[in-house]
Amino acid sequence: MLDIQTHMDFVGQGKAERWSRLIITVFGVIGLIYGAIVQQFSQTVYILGAGFLLSSLITIPPWPLFRRNPLKWQKPIQTDGSSAKSSPSSESGDEGKKKKK
Amino acid sequence: MHTVLTRGNATVAYTLSVLACLTFSCFLSTVFLDYRTDANINTVRVLVKNVPDYGASREKHDLGYITFDLQTNLTGIFNWNVKQLFLYLTAEYQTPANQLNQVVLWDKIILRGENAVLDFKNLNTKYYFWDDGNGLKDNRNVSLYLSWNIIPNAGLLPSVQATGKHLFKFPADYATSSI
Repeated sequence: MLDIQTHMDFVGQGKAERWSRLIITVFGVIGLIYGAIVQQFSQTVYILGAGFLLSSLITIPPWPLFRRNPLKWQKPIQTDGSSAKSSPSSESGDEGKKKKK
Repeated sequence: MHTVLTRGNATVAYTLSVLACLTFSCFLSTVFLDYRTDANINTVRVLVKNVPDYGASREKHDLGYITFDLQTNLTGIFNWNVKQLFLYLTAEYQTPANQLNQVVLWDKIILRGENAVLDFKNLNTKYYFWDDGNGLKDNRNVSLYLSWNIIPNAGLLPSVQATGKHLFKFPADYATSSI
């Protein structure tokens, strides 16, 4: 089976939002300066539109770049009585304590 | 920001906010400019007739007939927040019946990029110069001036009056022959 990941992790989501804000703001400022120089407000709008397209391309699709900090989950606790050996639950408990530190 | 749709929504919303800021900056950069310019106006023929005004009361009212020259250079007015100018020529005078009479005689639209250096000779008016009584005959003080509305991308819609004014007087007798 193909294992296509479509999510972003939390760090990736933060990164995507920061990048989209940055790209659109920078293109807006450049567009304003260029439009003021050539005295054509349409140029300002077109440059902002280019920034919008670039930002959409970079930050909207869930690129693997935004999946580099996966969450470390605790191992599942087995609550089934028949296969209870009490060792997995104690191990996972230890791991949880280590992560909290 | 956890799905494609929320990220798309945030990007579009932020782009529109930035666009609003840019438009406001464009407005701010032009709101304090002085758009006044000089215009040279001169009358060539000046007649006044006394004819029935079928458009209003059917009574005989004064109808002015003038042709005029107009010279002005409006290239300096255009900038990135001016899409077009609406020029109009106004005649202003005083009669015993009314303190202030204003009649628009002629207008013209100039888009940005079109020739804004105007030099018209012996131009006819576009609209009738009706008085609402008999105030034009022998009127010694009629002023003719050019104004324009600036149609912007964003912001105010200022109406600016040119600095040049032309004063003229109507003859003391009605013209009888057809013009």
